[in-house]
Amino acid sequence: MYLYLPVALTSINIIIPVGLGLIVGLLSGLFGVGGGFLMTPLLIMFGIPSTVAAATDSNQIVAASTSGTYAHWKVGNVDFKMGLYLLVGGFAGGLVGVEFIKMLRAMGNADFVIKITYVLMLGIVGAYMFIESLSSMKKKDVKEVEVQKKSRVREFLKSLPLQTYFEKSGVTHSILVPIFLGCMVGILAAIMGVGGGFLMVPIMFYILRMPMHVIVGTSLFQILFTCIEVTFLQSYTNHTVDFTLAVLLLIGSTIGAQVGAIFGRKLKGEQLKILLAVIVLAVTVKIIFELTLSPSLLLSQAGGH
Amino acid sequence: MKYTNMLNKTFVIFPILIALLLFVFAGTASAQLTATANHDHITVDFFYHGSTISVRGVSDPGTDLIIKVTSEDGNQTLRKKGKVGGFLWMNVGELEVEHVPKVYFLHSTRNIDDILSRDEMNKNVIGYPALEKYVKMNTTDEAEKDRWFNEFVKFKESSNVYATSTGKISLMDKDSEQNYYILTEWPYQAPPGKYTVTVYAVKDKKVVETATSNVLVEQVGMVKSFANMAKNNAAVYGLIAILAALTAGFGVGLVFRKNGGAH
Repeated sequence: MYLYLPVALTSINIIIPVGLGLIVGLLSGLFGVGGGFLMTPLLIMFGIPSTVAAATDSNQIVAASTSGTYAHWKVGNVDFKMGLYLLVGGFAGGLVGVEFIKMLRAMGNADFVIKITYVLMLGIVGAYMFIESLSSMKKKDVKEVEVQKKSRVREFLKSLPLQTYFEKSGVTHSILVPIFLGCMVGILAAIMGVGGGFLMVPIMFYILRMPMHVIVGTSLFQILFTCIEVTFLQSYTNHTVDFTLAVLLLIGSTIGAQVGAIFGRKLKGEQLKILLAVIVLAVTVKIIFELTLSPSLLLSQAGGH
Repeated sequence: MKYTNMLNKTFVIFPILIALLLFVFAGTASAQLTATANHDHITVDFFYHGSTISVRGVSDPGTDLIIKVTSEDGNQTLRKKGKVGGFLWMNVGELEVEHVPKVYFLHSTRNIDDILSRDEMNKNVIGYPALEKYVKMNTTDEAEKDRWFNEFVKFKESSNVYATSTGKISLMDKDSEQNYYILTEWPYQAPPGKYTVTVYAVKDKKVVETATSNVLVEQVGMVKSFANMAKNNAAVYGLIAILAALTAGFGVGLVFRKNGGAH
C-alpha cells in the first residue's frame, strides 16, 4: 500500500519505511547508535529528498532512542550522570562545529577534507575495535597488556581535577573528561552531519572504560536529547520534517529497538563490540565505493548531508 | 417588483450576450485548434500515487501536434559531483538554474526536429535544446553549460518530472477536422501547483496555432493540513512531532514490558 508524504511530496510503499525502521531500530537498540548513517542514504535511495530524509530521520530516532533507552533503563543500564555530562559537552561541541564548518567552507575544498577525515576516522575506529575485540575474545592476557599500555593516559585522566564516581558505570573520572569528549564528538558530528553514536560508543569504551551494556543505554539516552533538538531546529527553520514518514519509520524502529535491546543482553560485551566494528567497517567500505565509483547521476538535491 | 425582475433578467442576459460576442470574435480571430485537459484538477490525498491526464481537441487536418506540459518557472539549486584528485567523486559546488520549470513534458506526433525549425523551437521553448537556451545557469562557458544542462535533464528524467515522447498522440480525421487525443501518466513526483498545457499545431516547420489549458494539482484534506502546518506553524508542528515520537517510544516500551519482553 502506498501513502503520500505531505512534506517530502512523494509517495512511498509503506512496507519500505516500516521495514527500514525495524532494521535500523534493531541496530539502535543493540549498539546504542542512532543509525542515521544508514537510514538517511537509504531514504534518499527510495526517492525522499535529502533534506527531508535527514530531518525526518532525527524525528524517528527520538522514538527509537526513547524506546531503546527505556528498555535499557529497565535493567539498570543507563548512566544518567555520565550521559548528562556528555550531553553538556555535545551541545557545546555542536555549536562550535557549526561555526567551524562555516569557516572550512569559506576556505574552500571543505568537502574533500571532511570526507577524507570521515573515512579515515571510521576506518581506524572500526579496524581498531575489530582487532581489539577479536584478540580479547581469543585470550584474556592481551587485555591486560592493553590496560598497561593505556596506563599513561589513565594516569593523566586521574590527575585531572573534579574527580567523581559514576555509580552505574563503576568508574571514576573528572567531570571534565566526559564534557571534553562529548564536545569533541559534537564538533565532529556537526562537521560530518551525522549523529556520532558510532564514535561515541568506542570512546565510552576505550577512554571512559565503561561496561559495554551501560554504554549502549547511555549512548541512546544521549542521542535522544540530541535528536529532540535537531528535530525541532529542522522543523522550525527548514520545514523539512515529514511527520507522516516519521510515523511510518517509528512503527518499525520503536519495536526494532526493543528487540535489539533484548537481543543485546544475550550477547557479551566483546561480541557487541565486534559486531559494531563490522558495521562501522562496512560503512567505511560503502563510502570508499561511493567516492571511487562513477555515479550515474552527477547532480543531487542541495541540502542535507 | 416587476421592475426588479426585468433588471435581474437584463443582468443575466447582458453578460451572456457579451460572452457570446467574445466567443464569436475569438473564434474568428484564432482558428479551430482546441485543447481540453481531462482530470484538470488532480487532488492529492494520503492515498495519491500519481494520476493520468488526457488532452484532447481538434486541429486542422494535416497539421502535426506538439503538446507541452510545464509548471511555472522557478529557480533551482542542485549539488554538482565531480572528480577530485583524479579519482574521488565528491561534491564540487552548486549548479544554479534560473527560470526553469519543475516539470516539463513534451509529446509530439513526430520527431520535433523533423516537423519544426530551430528558430520556432527556441521561440516557443520546445525541446531540451530550446529549454537550455531559455534558462540561465551559473556558468558562462558554453561547453560547461551544455554538459551540466544534460546532467540536469538526466536528473529530472530520473525523477520522472521531465519526459519527452514521440508518436503517442493519436490522430483521427473526421468531417474535415483532425481530432487528437493523448493519455499520459501523471507522476506523483510532480509537486502540487498549476500546470499549463500548451498545444502547438505545426505545419511547414512552423507553429501555426496554439491553444492552452490548465491542470491544477492540489493537496486536500489532511495532506494539506500537514503540509500547511509544517510551513506556517513550524514550532507547533515540530513540538507535536517530538511529543508523538516520545509517546510512541514509551508506549512501545510499556507494551514490551507487559509482554514480558524485558526478561
